Amino acid sequence: MKYLEKLTKIDRRVIFLLVALAVIIPLVVPLGLPVKPSKYSQKLYDVVDNIPPNNQPVLISADYSPSMMPELHPMLKAIVRHCFAKKIRVMVMTLDPTGAALAEDALNEISKEYLVEYGKDYVFLGFKSGTSAVMMSIGQNIRQAYPVDAYGKPLDELPMMTGIRNYADIPLVIDIAGSAIINQWVNYAGTRYHATVGAGCTAVSTADYYPFLQAGQLVGLLNGMKGASEYEHLNEKNGYSKASKQASKGMDAVSIVHLMIMLFIVLGNIGYFFARQKSSKK
Amino acid sequence: MKKQLPLIIVLVLGIAMALQFFIPSRISTVTYETLNRWIIVIAAFAITLAVGSLISHHIIKIKRRKPGWWNSYVALTGLVVMALLGILGRINGLNWMSAFYFKLFKYVQAPMDSAMFAILAFYMASAAYRAFRARSKEATLLLISGFIVMLGVIPFGSLIWDKIPDISEWIMMVPNMASKRGILFGVGLGMTATSLKIILGIERNWLGGGGK
Repeated sequence: MKYLEKLTKIDRRVIFLLVALAVIIPLVVPLGLPVKPSKYSQKLYDVVDNIPPNNQPVLISADYSPSMMPELHPMLKAIVRHCFAKKIRVMVMTLDPTGAALAEDALNEISKEYLVEYGKDYVFLGFKSGTSAVMMSIGQNIRQAYPVDAYGKPLDELPMMTGIRNYADIPLVIDIAGSAIINQWVNYAGTRYHATVGAGCTAVSTADYYPFLQAGQLVGLLNGMKGASEYEHLNEKNGYSKASKQASKGMDAVSIVHLMIMLFIVLGNIGYFFARQKSSKK
Repeated sequence: MKKQLPLIIVLVLGIAMALQFFIPSRISTVTYETLNRWIIVIAAFAITLAVGSLISHHIIKIKRRKPGWWNSYVALTGLVVMALLGILGRINGLNWMSAFYFKLFKYVQAPMDSAMFAILAFYMASAAYRAFRARSKEATLLLISGFIVMLGVIPFGSLIWDKIPDISEWIMMVPNMASKRGILFGVGLGMTATSLKIILGIERNWLGGGGK
């Protein structure tokens, strides 16, 4: 009984060590756990997949900082790979100052894997401060918010921007964010300007966006690293990408850590149960 | 006048911007577009203000030799170096600076930022172990639903029982959403009430001085 009661007093350093091992071991020795795309990852994937190639561009807003990189960066890469493989034009922007370097890094890396040309197949708009004002300005005319791209080139000089004025010319807006900025994309781009909005968010904030999914205000949602790994899986399954699946590797570690946390909770409760029984007998 | 002028601007523009939404016309559209551009410019000024405030905070810390003052040197050096590399790197002939900026960002800032966030996992594991106890009926219910949702998001869930992801989805779509909707309604009504209070000059904290 004493041993069972001790289960409520496991040293936090032991927990930290076991969590560290649960993260490191699956990264070194991948488990290759099966991936089954969830309903909303599949929906977002299908919406992107149905956009006609060499036509109007998808707008992706990479609104995240390096702290959210492990969960959100693979999402951006997977979506851009999907678009490039299907010859869907892409515009990437960010409303987070540190997101600019991350988005540019992803574009530089992926543009080398596919036969794509800057200005013709994709454009990088860079960072713009103002959040909701930027979203509303794009609703009027994208040139109001971004007269030039991230490299100082006027949008009118970029071939793929010809005829692209506002959300009416953008078949899909995807916001990848680790903050409540997705709400604003839904409110301003979606509700006010009737843009089709999809999103990718950190796992911890997924619960916040279910009302928008049910109402159809979000056409799809990628749920943290799981969502990113599902998108990678769909890309690979359909032959759109042969690149290393970053999120799928991370998902092995996440799964083991989840199991470990559940085990700790069970142990803690067993100990708590016996301690309570003992005190009630007294 | 120092306080009345901002209050008048807020009252007039607040009412005008609300009205323009319901009266679509050329004048209202042009006004709306212009004001949107102003907001973007003002937001850019806010960044300048934030950088200025950061610099002055750290300079004061160094001058007064406050605890951990040497860390302020690191913060200021990082700020100056990254800003210079980022700005000067755009000039032709100095492109190496831009490349160096990206290397510092990718191999220094990004891993440090990610590491800080990753530490949360350790604290979450420890906190879940200590706090997640079936102390009452409500806590037990929370514990069970938490378990199902956690199992539902990892591949092991469907390996144990293929219905677990569906049950997890139901928890997210029905009980979770019911509470989220309630919160969203509350937030929406709160935002409307606060906006009205600001427009009508009842709420004046934004002017500074605690509304006095």
